[in-house]
Amino acid sequence: MGNKKCSMDRRAFLKTAAAAALTASLAPQRLAAGQFKADTLQVWSCGGLSEAFNLANSQFESKTGVRIAYTGAFAAALGKSLLGGATTEVFAGRVLKLAKTLREKDKMAYFRPLCFTEYVMVTPKGNAAGIKTLEDLTRHGVRVILPLGASPPGGDAVTGILKKAGIEKTVLANMTERETCVVKMMPAIIGGKGDVSIVEKRLTRMAAHEGKVEVIPIPEKFFPPGPLTFTIGTMNAATDRALADHYVDFICSREAQAIFERQGFIPADSDKGRMLIEKLGVKDV
Amino acid sequence: MSDNELKTAAVKPLIWLRRAVQTGMLAVLGQWSFYGIFRCPFPVPFVDCKACPVITCWGRVTSLFWGFWLVLPISVLLFGRAFCGWLCPGGLVNQLIGKMSLFKLRIRNRFTGFAAWGLFAGLAASLVLWLYLGNPRWMVPIRAGEFWNSVRLSFEHATPFWLVRTFVVLGLVAAGFLVANLWCRFACPTGGLLELFRRFSLFRVFKTGACNDCDDCLKVCEMGTRPDEVNCTNCADCLGSCPIDAIKVGRKRV
Repeated sequence: MGNKKCSMDRRAFLKTAAAAALTASLAPQRLAAGQFKADTLQVWSCGGLSEAFNLANSQFESKTGVRIAYTGAFAAALGKSLLGGATTEVFAGRVLKLAKTLREKDKMAYFRPLCFTEYVMVTPKGNAAGIKTLEDLTRHGVRVILPLGASPPGGDAVTGILKKAGIEKTVLANMTERETCVVKMMPAIIGGKGDVSIVEKRLTRMAAHEGKVEVIPIPEKFFPPGPLTFTIGTMNAATDRALADHYVDFICSREAQAIFERQGFIPADSDKGRMLIEKLGVKDV
Repeated sequence: MSDNELKTAAVKPLIWLRRAVQTGMLAVLGQWSFYGIFRCPFPVPFVDCKACPVITCWGRVTSLFWGFWLVLPISVLLFGRAFCGWLCPGGLVNQLIGKMSLFKLRIRNRFTGFAAWGLFAGLAASLVLWLYLGNPRWMVPIRAGEFWNSVRLSFEHATPFWLVRTFVVLGLVAAGFLVANLWCRFACPTGGLLELFRRFSLFRVFKTGACNDCDDCLKVCEMGTRPDEVNCTNCADCLGSCPIDAIKVGRKRV
């Protein structure tokens, strides 16, 4: 009898424990999803941030149970769509002026600094041409591949760097290929079709390129300021403002910023990031 | 039941098998094909997938790209243009549109003979764009994004070149409502490429010397052709159509 009673108690205990474990495992998702009106959030960002956002979005989704409907494309194009009447709930764009314009036009509720990009020289493994500084791109016989036909952050920014360094004409004379896409250009450098190119550091952190090129820093003084800044903000069209704000908070958290850093960006919450925020004036109007 | 009815009944399971294979391949290759037309930022799709900025394309995130470019040459050496008739999702779409087309154009005349050169024109244009011009980026790539939203943005931010390329392709596919399988028969660059090597295939559907040119096979062919002639995809729909049993499948002894 005593044994039976004991057995019943154990069974009841096991049932309760199992139910509690199940509830505990589901609780973070349910609680987070339950605290918002919406179960989906539409996020648009600059295409250059896509790899980082995909990773960060997965983390956010697993934490909250909220689905992120994400689109990543050339920020100026997305910005044009947004100014033209398209809507999204959170927008992470490149170029400070775009964020300010969206605020002025009453499309965006607020923005915060997200991260910064930087430009580097890339050479095939071994750096056979011995590239060390920008000046080396002017040497006779160096095969330079440049993405000048790419969208402005990949094309115009590179021209800007060469102009600031005062070597534009000489380097262009060494240019053997003028590419229209930075991603498509990378295999040409990896495969040794060219000796050197200039790209955003993020390109060297993509899975297909990481460890396959030599990365040589370019002094910051040559960077054109425009394309360096990424911001993130909640749009006025957000159906669930609390959810959009929570998402922006998450992307600006140390946890998510580490993802952006890993993908080759300078996080806004780093020392360098804070210095750039002041230098470039990345403050909401 | 007449002999012809018996033969037609015997071929029906093969036709259903082909439709089943096509439907299966739609599941495998369909999304990649969709990306190729609507979201590929380059004029010639399916050739630069591994260095493409669109990170959600199946040609980039799966091993389909390598599998496709390995299987395609093997398939053409074994079965000619069977890819077009059995595996291509675009082929299935065109054939379904062809069911509703006003003109089946299942005839042999100067026009159908001349129009088939369009396959090689399409191939030549693609080769120039890809190899000579370096397949330049003609559209702001929607690197990651939802299905319809991305298509809308693609069209919104494409260059005129990309829009012309895409509307030409879509227009020729839509022209299939007028002339059956117009894209596959007279314009498809992949079809043109396979057509070049079709004659070297090991196995094929072919006419024997007993053929009396009655063209009954032509009348059942979705591609408006006869066995082992231009545009024959070895689909085998014609196997039961010959009144004198002059259509065979296998190795053709010359």
